[in-house]
Amino acid sequence: MFCAATGFAGTPKVGMGKFEAERLVPVEDAKRIKVHFNADTADALPWSFTPQQRFVSVLPGETSLAFYKAKNKSDKDIIGIATYNVTPDRIAPYFAKVECFCFEEQKLLAGEEVDMPLLFFIDRDVLDDPACRNLDDVVLSYTFFRARRNAQGHLEPDADDDVVQASQGFSGYDIAPRAEDRKKSEEKPSS
Amino acid sequence: MSFGRPPSISGGFSNSAPDRGSFPLDHYGECKQYMQSYLDCLRKNTNNSTPCRHLNKDYLECRMARGLMDRDDWRNLGLNEVRGAAESSSSVVKDNPKDKPNV
Repeated sequence: MFCAATGFAGTPKVGMGKFEAERLVPVEDAKRIKVHFNADTADALPWSFTPQQRFVSVLPGETSLAFYKAKNKSDKDIIGIATYNVTPDRIAPYFAKVECFCFEEQKLLAGEEVDMPLLFFIDRDVLDDPACRNLDDVVLSYTFFRARRNAQGHLEPDADDDVVQASQGFSGYDIAPRAEDRKKSEEKPSS
Repeated sequence: MSFGRPPSISGGFSNSAPDRGSFPLDHYGECKQYMQSYLDCLRKNTNNSTPCRHLNKDYLECRMARGLMDRDDWRNLGLNEVRGAAESSSSVVKDNPKDKPNV
């Protein structure tokens, strides 16, 4: 359960270059996997956000580009921040993003439209996982939120925590309230 | 600790960040034509990625050349075996039509 939730199959390597070049070689005779693309925006975000291809059929180990398109339909500059989710859960440890538009703020000027690329691959170790044997289709979903600054001054999605967790595939999990929220309720004067 | 960084109090079980980070936005659409070539190729090949990978390389080369992506070794991007358009036109003797992907 823990592995599925975090997507870590083993000891995670952290930082740049965690994918050795040897991992990025297509397995030529393997069965192809279709990666489908979804896009969502939070209600509070007046952007249109769509995938530019419905799916890409890839080999394990083969890096591939995919594109989304986003447009700020409002008359104000807005900073957005994206979360993503990969289903089914069992593919998550093998789905790897080399580079994408997510996790950092993306500022779109009023009326601006921009293409957003992502470079990803499915690790070849998926072929050794019996749980993934009949896995032909994978869905990658991105959700864009309006960004806000938290108490530490860092940007985060401007939405309730359960909504953000759901966009990352964690709806239905019991999640403890964030430390900041727990502290707030503890500090409330009791009357 | 902020959203999207390594697991932290406010992140909870956050999904992992991309390895090489975030693509900066191509505000002026400088590489849009390369993206369009790739998308057209996908459509012609039932969205099969393999025959279109040389266009991945062209797109990423465009980004690198315009400071829209850190220059990186093609090996680190899984594209060293693929020959992009810029390389195909410059190599005369070694170019073997059999190596070109079917489009």
